Amino acid sequence: MTAEAALGPWWPYLVLILVGFLPNEVWRVLAVVLSSGLDERSEILTWVRAVATTLLAGVVAKLLLAPGGALAAVPFMGRVGSLAIGLAAFYALRRSVVAGVLIGEAALTAVGWWAQAGAP
Amino acid sequence: MTSRSDIFVFWRGVRDALAFPAWIVGFSLFGVGSLARDAGLPAGAAVLSTCLMWAAPAQVILFGGLLSGAALPALAVAIGVSSLRFLPMTMSILPLVRRPGQRWPVQVVVAHFVAVTAWVEGMRRLPNLPVEERLPFFLGFASACMGVSATLTLAGYQLVRVLPVVLAAGMLMLTPLFFTVALVASARARQDWAAIGVGFALAPVATAVVGRDFDLLVLGLVGGTAAYVAGRGRRRI
Repeated sequence: MTAEAALGPWWPYLVLILVGFLPNEVWRVLAVVLSSGLDERSEILTWVRAVATTLLAGVVAKLLLAPGGALAAVPFMGRVGSLAIGLAAFYALRRSVVAGVLIGEAALTAVGWWAQAGAP
Repeated sequence: MTSRSDIFVFWRGVRDALAFPAWIVGFSLFGVGSLARDAGLPAGAAVLSTCLMWAAPAQVILFGGLLSGAALPALAVAIGVSSLRFLPMTMSILPLVRRPGQRWPVQVVVAHFVAVTAWVEGMRRLPNLPVEERLPFFLGFASACMGVSATLTLAGYQLVRVLPVVLAAGMLMLTPLFFTVALVASARARQDWAAIGVGFALAPVATAVVGRDFDLLVLGLVGGTAAYVAGRGRRRI
């Protein structure tokens, strides 16, 4: 009898804890240990922040270059273009994050409809 | 979290999250709920994954992997690598919300709430708050984000397949769009701009050189150090 059969309805929850939760949470807990005693203005934290910001920009770039699911239905230039439009709206409309995201979304939706309508 | 003013600030955090950011992360997790259903998981596991993992990309790896029948140990490693970003993020936010004499269980709770939305918004808003207000504000903000996201994960689970492709694409675009605008909005020093530029420009290079699994790790360390040096050069002169 396999573990999956023995646990029945509890199997997905065990997978969630062991495969999903623990490998994910370990970094947050490790950060608690490593950051103890660090001052918010310390030099090492300045470097850590640079690493985090670079990582995040890299995550965004990867999402735009190789998107999963439905976003792949929008052409690459449409994805990058709507990001540029969102950023332009952010600056044009008094640095409003809300305006930037909403207008960028509107641009993407427009490109999406256009791409869909243009498809045979 | 005892005094009256702490509770007041907590609710201000809730309100600020519900004003916009909570919906961004919430709708990103809508798609995760749909994916969990496709993978054959019960609704409870889908919602619990949002509360426990609190990391949309890792949840996508988990459910996508289960769907394709990937080996569980391989999935665990892939999730661990993809969530490495939480280490520098959590390390940079904890000292902002730390109060004198704060015990470690409180810090573990704070750390659990760290995800990209709470991080970018926290780095933007927390430095402007008085030190004593930062912890209750962050907890209110992040728990509102998580509450909305758990609800929308369930909605995504139930409403799978009724969403037009264009709207689904829009939901998937929320994450890169919001991250970028929020990163630009919170950039102050030369180092921040260097990090954003390096991250964008070198991501494809890192993927080509190191492959898809460890590219972000290398990009973060090499690119982040380069951005740090660029910022430091300016600070010293």
